[in-house]
Amino acid sequence: MTDARITTHPILEFKEGRKVRFTFDGRELDGYEGEPIAAALHAAGVRVLGESPKLKRPRGFFCAIGNCSSCLMTVDGRPNVRVCTEKLREGMCVTTQRGKGVLFAND
Amino acid sequence: MAVNRRADAVVIGGGVVGASIAYHLARRGFGRIALVERSYLASGSTGRCGAGVRQQWGTRLNCLLARESVRMFERMEDELGYDRSIEFKQGGYLLLAYTDREMNQFVKNVELEQSLGIPASLLTPAEARAIVPMLNAGDVLCATYCPTDGHANPFHVTYAYVGAARRLGVEVMTFTEVKGIVVENGRVARVVCDRGVIDTGVVVNAAGPYSGLVARMAGVEIPFWAERHQILVTEPVEPVLRPMVMSFSRRIYCQQTPHGSFIMGMADPNEQPGFSTESSWKFLVEMAREITRVLPPVGDLKVVRQWAGLYDMTPDAHPILGATPVEGFYLACGFSGHGFMLAPVTGRLISEIICDEKPSIDITGLDLGRFERGELVVEPSVV
Repeated sequence: MTDARITTHPILEFKEGRKVRFTFDGRELDGYEGEPIAAALHAAGVRVLGESPKLKRPRGFFCAIGNCSSCLMTVDGRPNVRVCTEKLREGMCVTTQRGKGVLFAND
Repeated sequence: MAVNRRADAVVIGGGVVGASIAYHLARRGFGRIALVERSYLASGSTGRCGAGVRQQWGTRLNCLLARESVRMFERMEDELGYDRSIEFKQGGYLLLAYTDREMNQFVKNVELEQSLGIPASLLTPAEARAIVPMLNAGDVLCATYCPTDGHANPFHVTYAYVGAARRLGVEVMTFTEVKGIVVENGRVARVVCDRGVIDTGVVVNAAGPYSGLVARMAGVEIPFWAERHQILVTEPVEPVLRPMVMSFSRRIYCQQTPHGSFIMGMADPNEQPGFSTESSWKFLVEMAREITRVLPPVGDLKVVRQWAGLYDMTPDAHPILGATPVEGFYLACGFSGHGFMLAPVTGRLISEIICDEKPSIDITGLDLGRFERGELVVEPSVV
């Protein structure tokens, strides 16, 4: 889906780094190092990034500048990561967040 | 709307303390009661507070007042007929000791608390960690824990009291500022507001940090100052922290609300008296640094906003409750950061005093005269 790749953004820089691998809900995907995680997901055809807090409706790319909380995901175990501004790195583990996110496992 | 009327009692201050007093007076059938607030309900210290409710104190009096307040919080929704939740979460308070001095104080405090039936206990760092697994117990010497402590929503508690007070006929006058108190022949005669005059024989000063100014209107000087305290709230996450975690030597407290956000505050020992409620960058940096040491995973949370509120301070960190040399002029102020948790019992006690009943807890030691007599009740355990 190369046509879905975002190459320009009015605010963020999109430097195309080296190709890296990461996982999304266990699926292996490719992206470019340094691009926002959401851009890599978008290029891979992923449109649903999270769910609304109360009614659990699907939430996708919305503001794309780290403002709206529509794209909160769990990245490498950290909850509430705004993937529209978080830069992609090799081997990242990106998972869809259900609920408010888990800060710390008590047991 | 201009107000020119008569009331049997005027309560100044639409925070949680004033709301509780107005309700309790009305429940005792004291007659026509007006609750006067210069802004909106809970707009001052109440709506800005850390919302903790604890019974672990260093003085007998604070223990007794807090113990009774907890009982009142436990049945508040039923008593006040509140159809929503006051969000009273009894997840306990975990107090951390980092110094020998603190540890010695904690041993004394727990002994006192247990003698008064407060279920507090002394814990080892490992036991503290069993209650809060994310705790960095490395430099903790010991802790105390009381499972029936907790926190509640200060807005809901205020609205619960005001709603019940209204149903009992209390007139709630928001956006009405008191400009003067007229005293004739040594007793209260009327309250002058920006929207009119209320003739009354009883005035209760529950103006929080502005109580010093209100007292002066009646010609009463109280040893008292306002002090800014800052606080912040984070994004919500799933429930993970049950108790309020607090340290006196680090001057911090932190709780997770039922909604999932963390609320935390930190006192600045160099804070000067004043009415500023501005937020500072310095607080944000220091708060983040301290909480990340005590509860490291919290460092990953994003701050949603920060704000500040005012403590109404007295020289001994105890409230000033009761009558004054001006007949009919009563004080319920000087809570020194603990007004929210003491509000339920304060309302009852002040209403008992005004109705000439014997107060259900002996609070003669908390009168204004203690400062002149030099009989201060110093509380060692405050943030």
